[in-house]
Amino acid sequence: MKNQKFRLTFNMALLFILILLFITIACLNSAFLSFDYIIGVMIRNIIELGLLALPVTLIIITGGIDLSVGSTMVLAAMSGGLAAVKFGSTAGIIVTLLTGLLCGLFNGFVIAKLKISPLVTTLATMFLYMGIARGMSLGDSVYSYPATQFLGNTDIGGFPLQAFLYAAFAVVFYLILSKTTLGRELFAIGLNENAAKYSGIKTERKLILIYVISGLMCALASMIWLGRFTSIKYDAGTSIGLKVVTIIVLGGTSILGGLGDIKGTIIATFIIAVLNSGLTVLNIPIDSQTIVNGSVLVISLITYAILTERIKKSRIIKLDSTV
Amino acid sequence: MDDMKNKSKFESTENTGFNFKKFLVTETYLAIFLIVVLVFLSILTKGFFSLNNVMSILNRFSYVLIAAIGMNLIIITSNIDVSTGALMSIVCIVIAAVGKTGASIWILLPVAMITGAVLSGINGIFITKLRIPAIVATLATTQLFAGVLPFVVEGSIYDLPAKFTWLAFEAKLFGLIPSSLILMFIITTIAILFMKYSKFSKKLYAIGNNSDGARLAGINIERTVIITYIIAGALFGVSATIIATASQRVTTTMASGLEMTFIAAVVLGGTSIAGGSGKILGTVFGALILSIISPAINYLGISSDWSDAIMGIIIIVSVILGAMKFIKRKKITVVQRRQDNEKPKIQVDL
Repeated sequence: MKNQKFRLTFNMALLFILILLFITIACLNSAFLSFDYIIGVMIRNIIELGLLALPVTLIIITGGIDLSVGSTMVLAAMSGGLAAVKFGSTAGIIVTLLTGLLCGLFNGFVIAKLKISPLVTTLATMFLYMGIARGMSLGDSVYSYPATQFLGNTDIGGFPLQAFLYAAFAVVFYLILSKTTLGRELFAIGLNENAAKYSGIKTERKLILIYVISGLMCALASMIWLGRFTSIKYDAGTSIGLKVVTIIVLGGTSILGGLGDIKGTIIATFIIAVLNSGLTVLNIPIDSQTIVNGSVLVISLITYAILTERIKKSRIIKLDSTV
Repeated sequence: MDDMKNKSKFESTENTGFNFKKFLVTETYLAIFLIVVLVFLSILTKGFFSLNNVMSILNRFSYVLIAAIGMNLIIITSNIDVSTGALMSIVCIVIAAVGKTGASIWILLPVAMITGAVLSGINGIFITKLRIPAIVATLATTQLFAGVLPFVVEGSIYDLPAKFTWLAFEAKLFGLIPSSLILMFIITTIAILFMKYSKFSKKLYAIGNNSDGARLAGINIERTVIITYIIAGALFGVSATIIATASQRVTTTMASGLEMTFIAAVVLGGTSIAGGSGKILGTVFGALILSIISPAINYLGISSDWSDAIMGIIIIVSVILGAMKFIKRKKITVVQRRQDNEKPKIQVDL
């Protein structure tokens, strides 16, 4: 009970921060409030990260982590783009999705079957996928093709297409995590993988599944990304993994697994969006966004550490032994 | 019955082969791999072993190894540091700013070590005092470190005096052996002795293996981990000095992304990322292999664009092989446990 109450207030606090930030920036510069800017720049810029944060939240809830999302995106975009040049858009899409799937499958297989820590695995595959992308392109850029341009630059009723995609996926992931058995099972794996296994959950299969989902979402995000930027180089995805983890941790998901929700991730996505585009509006150089992101992460971590500490103290039985 | 006999036979060979097994550790495999690669290169390529190339490999090797030793200490305590690249970039800029005034290496090196130690100490404090998992804490400080730099410097510090690059270009033993190599040699020797004989190193292994147990045994975990980060930070500082002094222009992204190479060297060297195990010697081989790959690929006539991919493959294969050994061992113990139930007198020697 206590736990649930706490999580609710945490999301409330996040929402409060989001609104506060929004108002502050809007007061400082009214240009921020224009519909075009909010929809066209703020939302458009964050969608890829938002799309990635959804599946990675699931992964972090199982106690894993996926640092390779950025490289998977680059590799998927790269192979898809190269295929599209030769065989057309359809082939491009198929190859992109297939690459994402294979990357995710490999991560999942190594993590679930070979029992290598997710951190090491995805750190290594981050290297590997980026390396393959670099080798394939020989250091050159890959260019967008009609299908990705459609995904990245279409507007429906004033809203970019990807915003609808994001909304749909956000709902789907919310439902998966909070309303399905799969969601429960993911929490169980995160809390205690062995216990989950012996209570009949096919942990290996579930783990592989979520990494594959993550790979597929990377592929989708990469198409939108490629469409938006028209060309991508192999090193474009280096910091994406970290940004995604920032969003998720800010959203209140515990990096140790077993605790968190999609709602928090969604709100955190918008906080980062408001911060990033807000700073641009306020003419603060783009470099400073890194430091702002970092400070946000540190502050949220400290707050979160203090909050969990308090919760722990309020419990009679001390649950966490890793002190 | 036959089955049982076979199994006990299998066991007995395991027992007699125990000494041999002790020899077949990760370091041996790595050394064999390294020798095979070197022989292969000497046959297939021309000029790989030319003095220039060997020296440039050794230079890269020395800064990778020095930082990897620091990373190894951190990983043994079952923590990690992904902010190393950003941290070292800051150190590079700091010593460049100091070097601009014409300071000699005897000032630059201590400054670099102190800067590294302080920044890394911040990481340690975050991790221990606030109990934030190391990966997240250092992820956050990565962004802080990388974010601070553009405010302080615009792009790069250039036109550095000759005194600044003294370490890389003039300081050579017998006019041949670069000083970075000597630095590396001294640090590695000290590290190996330190890990073998000091009390402090035993604490690191204890914390990595079982932090609760270590705490109950009277180890001050927080202090030990912070000190580990500080030592590692000083080593990162030395490594950054070697990187920065190699050119007259020091940029703000000079060392960014290198943390992956260091972690890779440590993992390749057989240190478990879960902590509690790992030797410096393994890291030495890991760092050497990683430093050779990129030039080797060049000399083999493959585009250097593939070097990252090949490095990635080597890392993941080595990690998987390490895990396979572990899984096999686990399976054997399970089988034996079953035997134990039937025949409780069989001794398990694994």
